[in-house]
Amino acid sequence: MSLTSFARWLAGREWAQDFAASSYFYPIVLGTHLVCIAVFGGMILMTNLRLLGWSLRSESISDVVARLRIWKRIGFTVMISCGLLLAGSEADKYYNNPFFWIKMTLLALIGVHGLVFRRSVYRNTAELDRAPSPPRQARLAASLSLILWIGVVCFGRLIGYYETPLLLLNAAAGSSLTPR
Amino acid sequence: MLFFETTPLAAALDAEWVFPTAECFHIVGFGIAIGTIALVDLSLLGAGLQRKAAARLLKATEPWTLIALAVVLLAGMVLFLTDPREYFLNLPFRFKIVCLLLAIIFNYTIHRRVVLSERAPAAVSGLVGAVSLMLWSAVVVGGLFIAFFPKGF
Repeated sequence: MSLTSFARWLAGREWAQDFAASSYFYPIVLGTHLVCIAVFGGMILMTNLRLLGWSLRSESISDVVARLRIWKRIGFTVMISCGLLLAGSEADKYYNNPFFWIKMTLLALIGVHGLVFRRSVYRNTAELDRAPSPPRQARLAASLSLILWIGVVCFGRLIGYYETPLLLLNAAAGSSLTPR
Repeated sequence: MLFFETTPLAAALDAEWVFPTAECFHIVGFGIAIGTIALVDLSLLGAGLQRKAAARLLKATEPWTLIALAVVLLAGMVLFLTDPREYFLNLPFRFKIVCLLLAIIFNYTIHRRVVLSERAPAAVSGLVGAVSLMLWSAVVVGGLFIAFFPKGF
């Protein structure tokens, strides 16, 4: 199945249509998505500031990373679930949206970032704590993480500004009508 | 408000890129401002973070909260000024502004005092943390609903 037909199939599901048609679900799920961004945002910022050595210097990096891990996981799970509902219910529109794909690319890069720095930073916090000031690796990881997450939030918002050209909408609906 | 609409500033805010850009600053800003406050709240609640860490967390996050709050408010004013009359008449907007004022006052009075006091009973700390989380969530959700309410409500 191609991605296009998958997007069309997904948007055609009963739950997706109900969801897209309801005037309450969309704002409620989007609201939850946003509240998670707020809670999650603080955690990301403080972890990265600690890795940069700009804040929370009284706590060890191990402590900050370990204690926030559970909340980050909860926040991330709720955020992704809401995001899947939002995108899934209008998959045919999101499919044509360049901002959506930029956001997805940034999220994929965040995954890569986690893997790349896993050994040297995130699972190596005891070692980082022994260094007198945060090593270059840790500072690099923190800066990249901040840039990527800010990008995700901004492009997430911009998704709402893209208007699908009428031609594409008609093509998706299998209509032979062309815009006047 | 009618006066404002005749000023050059109002014309400048009409540019197509102004609103989305201000929104990005608004969202990233509240992510940081409310997120740092939420961290303190979670430790007040003793949820995953220790209660005794709250005061240290507050001191570490405070400057970032303040900077982010300033960015959010500035960006928010730009958003508001693109269409003051529409916003002013919007019910969720009014709800949001009331929650925002309460949240800011609460944050810098009761919330701050309880966080910094070592002897506040656990029930009081928990309550203050919960109220803070609810107030700030109400601000976010109220803000979101501005766009989902029909014009004139």
